[in-house]
Amino acid sequence: MNSILIFVSVSLILAILFLIFRIGILTNVLKGKSDQQVGSANTINAFLFVVVFVLGIIGFYLSFVHSSKYFLGEPASQHGVETDRLFWIIMSVLTLAFLVTNTMLYIFPFVYRYKEGKRALFYPDNHFIERIWTIIPAIVMTGFVYFGWLVWSDIMKPASDKAEVIEVMAKQFAWQVRYPGVSDNKLGAYHFRKIDATNEFGIDFNDEKSFDDFLPTELYLPKGKEVLLEIRARDVIHSVFLPHFRVKMDAVPGMPTKFRFVPTITTKEMRVKNGNPNFNYELVCTEICGRGHYAMRFPVVVVEQAEYDEWKKKQTPWAQLNAEYVAQKTTKELKEKYLKLNGLPVVAQPEMDSVKVDSTSNNLQALSVK
Amino acid sequence: METNSPEAFNMNPKKFLLWLFVVTIIMFFASLTSAYLVRSSDGDWLHFDLPSMFWISSGVIILSSLTMQLAYNAAAKNEFEKIKIYTIATLLLGIIFLYLQVKGWGQLYANKIYLGGKYSNPAGSFVYVLSLMHGFHLITGIIYLIIILLSAFKQSIHSGRILQIELCTTYWHFLDLLWIYLFVFLQLNN
Amino acid sequence: MASVDTLHVGSVSHGHDHDHDHDHDDLPWIRKYVFSEDHKYIAKQYLISGILWAVLGGLFSLIFRLQLGFPNADLTWLKPILGEWIQNGKLDPEFYLAMVTMHGTIMVFFVLTAGLSGTFSNFLIPLQIGARDMASGFLNMLSYWFFFASSVVMLISVFLKTGPASGGWVIYPPLSALPQAVTGSGMGMTLWLGAMALFIVSTLLGGLNYVTTVINLRTKGMTFSRLPLTIWAFFITAIIGLLSFPVLFAAALLLIFDRSLGTSFFLSEIYIGGEALHHEGGSPILFQHLFWFLGHPEVYIVLLPALGITSEIVATNSRKPIFGYKAMVFSIVAIAFLSFIVWAHHMFVTGMNPFLGTIFMVLTLIIAVPSAVKAFNYIATIWRGNIVFTPAMLFSIGLVSFFISGGLTGIVLGNAATDIQLHDTYFVVAHFHIVMGSASFFGMLAGVYHWFPKMFGRMLDDRLGYIHFWLTFIGVYLVFFPMHYMGIAGFPRRYYSWTGFDAFSYTGETNELGEAIIKFADMNQLITIAAIITFVAQFLFIFNFFYSMYRGRVASANPWKSNTLEWTTPVNPGHGNWPGEIPQVYRWPYDYSKPGAKDDFIPQTVPFSETPESNLPNEVDE
Ligand code: HEM
Ligand SMILES: [Cu+2]
Ligand SMILES: [Cu+2]
Repeated sequence: MNSILIFVSVSLILAILFLIFRIGILTNVLKGKSDQQVGSANTINAFLFVVVFVLGIIGFYLSFVHSSKYFLGEPASQHGVETDRLFWIIMSVLTLAFLVTNTMLYIFPFVYRYKEGKRALFYPDNHFIERIWTIIPAIVMTGFVYFGWLVWSDIMKPASDKAEVIEVMAKQFAWQVRYPGVSDNKLGAYHFRKIDATNEFGIDFNDEKSFDDFLPTELYLPKGKEVLLEIRARDVIHSVFLPHFRVKMDAVPGMPTKFRFVPTITTKEMRVKNGNPNFNYELVCTEICGRGHYAMRFPVVVVEQAEYDEWKKKQTPWAQLNAEYVAQKTTKELKEKYLKLNGLPVVAQPEMDSVKVDSTSNNLQALSVK
Repeated sequence: METNSPEAFNMNPKKFLLWLFVVTIIMFFASLTSAYLVRSSDGDWLHFDLPSMFWISSGVIILSSLTMQLAYNAAAKNEFEKIKIYTIATLLLGIIFLYLQVKGWGQLYANKIYLGGKYSNPAGSFVYVLSLMHGFHLITGIIYLIIILLSAFKQSIHSGRILQIELCTTYWHFLDLLWIYLFVFLQLNN
Repeated sequence: MASVDTLHVGSVSHGHDHDHDHDHDDLPWIRKYVFSEDHKYIAKQYLISGILWAVLGGLFSLIFRLQLGFPNADLTWLKPILGEWIQNGKLDPEFYLAMVTMHGTIMVFFVLTAGLSGTFSNFLIPLQIGARDMASGFLNMLSYWFFFASSVVMLISVFLKTGPASGGWVIYPPLSALPQAVTGSGMGMTLWLGAMALFIVSTLLGGLNYVTTVINLRTKGMTFSRLPLTIWAFFITAIIGLLSFPVLFAAALLLIFDRSLGTSFFLSEIYIGGEALHHEGGSPILFQHLFWFLGHPEVYIVLLPALGITSEIVATNSRKPIFGYKAMVFSIVAIAFLSFIVWAHHMFVTGMNPFLGTIFMVLTLIIAVPSAVKAFNYIATIWRGNIVFTPAMLFSIGLVSFFISGGLTGIVLGNAATDIQLHDTYFVVAHFHIVMGSASFFGMLAGVYHWFPKMFGRMLDDRLGYIHFWLTFIGVYLVFFPMHYMGIAGFPRRYYSWTGFDAFSYTGETNELGEAIIKFADMNQLITIAAIITFVAQFLFIFNFFYSMYRGRVASANPWKSNTLEWTTPVNPGHGNWPGEIPQVYRWPYDYSKPGAKDDFIPQTVPFSETPESNLPNEVDE
């Protein structure tokens, strides 16, 4: 519908252009100056600059109004408010500069179009003016840099000890997250050589800290608390992008990265604000990573602190869901500890049929606790 | 004689071309060695001794620079026999240098420093890559020398037609310096 | 003939004599029409190759634009051309990436580096500085043929069963290093690297020649302060190329080692295809540093020649001296210098040290200042001019418009804090297409319209030129301007489809039929349609180009009443450019509308002694 309209109007413009320039030629021929360099087409072109400019500004305005309702809306993180504000301030200044310079750029051609017998002004230089328009951009840039630096260094400052640490791991073509368990609140070690079809994170079970780590199928975040994402990838570069939180950080194999931020709006609150009862936060990939790059979606949920703690307690550690696997991978001494921890009979090995094991499936959905 | 207008820079265009070419080679090796520095500062870096052959080959290439210069001097003085002798000497020394480099890689290999594969470390790979790339440029130098030699046998190098051998000399000295730079660089950073 | 130096010069001009006095006509046809060493002929070879590549690169973009604009359309009709890449009427997502990658590579390197610099540096440097040819015609010829070989290799890669390189034009490893990660990283990537190696050799050979020629072969009186701004731009561009392409070569080399010889420069801790690879200790980020050390200067390699061409055309057709010649030169030099120290602004979110991020933000925003000066100077040049709208002039004004629109958004991208959100979204795509892609593309078109009479001795048709301009100008804004909005809405680039995400599809609105309205679906459609129309409009130009080559109005010696030296040659200059002596230069090239002068232009070859009526107080012949 829309597009047909566009198509028709473009064809119209095309037809009109053809007509205008044809007529230009004809009048020239009639006046017998067909081989003169500057004909009436000159005026038409000059005039078109003004027309296009005016239509362009109207289009700019309308398209902005049309599009702005699809922007991401209120940032759901503390620093997002800052970056958004900075973005819109800079954009306003840029729009102003855009309007001023473009007005001149499109009006001058019309005003100063060729006229028989007129002479252009021989005006090769004016150091004063040049100095002005060097200094003004320089001052404006200094301002931008200063505010940019304030915001940037605030975002990038190291996380405090109290931050909620969550690991995000990217692979072709999915995200997985790992939480330090409730008992020690520390992530266990990992190594890429320990990765296999079951243990997709390469979690090291010689490290006691791994025993209570859990791998949910959603990224739960507590509102109002500092969150530190520890980001890595296991095959190619991906990039963590949380559009609503204004968070972005590459996930690089062999070089873990991090991003610290504070979520400020719960999913429920956002649903009300948006008037969309089905609203969900999302985790997106923004670094080309192969054929499934466009399909690396992971749901994100922000809840109140209390609900978050509650949720965490309900999660079953991965080691418990894959007891048989862990029993094989861990050291002797740790094994006993591990079994005790999980309330399992220390002698009942190696079968351990007391635990329901789904070691063939590497599908996390199957493992998670509903 | 338009090429000689007073505004034009007073250097032969071919000579200037060569110098620009040298600049591009410098950029190439500068980026490789900066990559080396950046990577080595990340840690997890293997430390090992450079092959002893590299010491000998460095000596050889310095010697070859000397003979190259002598060949040039001979050309300036129109000593035709000497041009040939010294050019051949340079050529041989160049080939010996390459041979020694290959031996050097053999030593590295025997030391379990590999270019690639499971037991390799970028520290070792860089040594191979840098010397390989230098060797590759040296081969172009050797080809140039062969051309000079052919001209010498045609008696077409003399004080009146010295540009060709002059450019070759510059290039050869540059390759010599380049190796010394790489060698010292690797010594210092290993 | 006693001193060594005179002998050199003697031998060089001997070479020249050989080339033009013993006339071109005795050369075997293969040296004349294929392996020609005449800079004008080589320029045309570059131009025509560039046009062919532009058509192909444009076609590729239409293929993926179809997917984005009409995601539900049945593309079975493309099956005869694309074969296996169409399955069940849908474009293969991997092929989508392959097309994006090839499109980017072709446009940046083959069209706007080879096609633009290759054409105009070759064509204009000798003609505008008053030289018979390049310093080395032979290297110049080699330069083109290396480019040709590179083209052939790249073209072959498109037809591979596993597809061409698909990791984006920036070929970040590990994606580009592992065929397991994407099939295009197999043979496709090998050919990409091979083609680029040849391309780099070609660019270096070209650059060596351009720099040497400008420095060594200027005619009498052609001091640096009298060089047309075109030459300044080509000269600086060539220097940037000489300093940055070797770095890309180094990066590509190390990548080749990683791919083929098992080294670990860029690869580390990778588990893929069910196995852990042996690589340890490499740094993928190191590659990005090396790549962008070329990559950022590369955008200026693409842009500066276009700006140079524009300076010349804007001054000529405003019938005014370029405003602030010195400032223009200074800003080119400043931009070139700064372009080497801002590369990491492409890497703000790679986890780099935040302090470094700050440094690169500062340096990046400094570039905005000389860029702004250039834009203001263009505007000041048309102010109170007597403007003749040749098609070349229209395209030049278009360029200035893009340079401003696209340059401004660079300021918000160069700010580390705001770039976090914008990085790798369509905002970036909008930004660089306008400032680098379209601006340079317009510079190239402006150049063709302006120098076509010198190239082929005939005029391009103006009317077709006007229509071509207006369609392309409006088209480009329709295609790329809306992408800003999508970028602000967070749409990531290199996406085959966005409908998998609520954030990029849900609007809560429905159309008359009760179907859900998808975010920006209409806008994506508009973009695709505008892109198709813009693409088709280019055939007006291509038709005009080939038709006018044989049938165009015969050109006069100086059709635009321009001051520069190339218009003092015969309409169809032979090999050697000037039949007699090379003219001497007495003044700068921008004496337009000088008060007191009879005409509104005074060519560079007119001595001050002949124009007492218009000389400024300090203007006397040396
Ligand atoms: C026919 C006109 C053109 C259209 C419709 C077009 C469209 C596009 C689009 C939509 C993308 C993003 C694709 C994606 O991210 O999925 C893209 C990428 C790109 N385009 Fe264009 N483009 C055009 C001309 C140009 C020109 C003249 C240049 C020259 C600089 C250029 C350079 C690039 C580059 C470098 C990329 C990035 C490729 C990558 O992501 O690896 N394009 N183009
Ligand atoms: Cu991805
Ligand atoms: Cu850049």
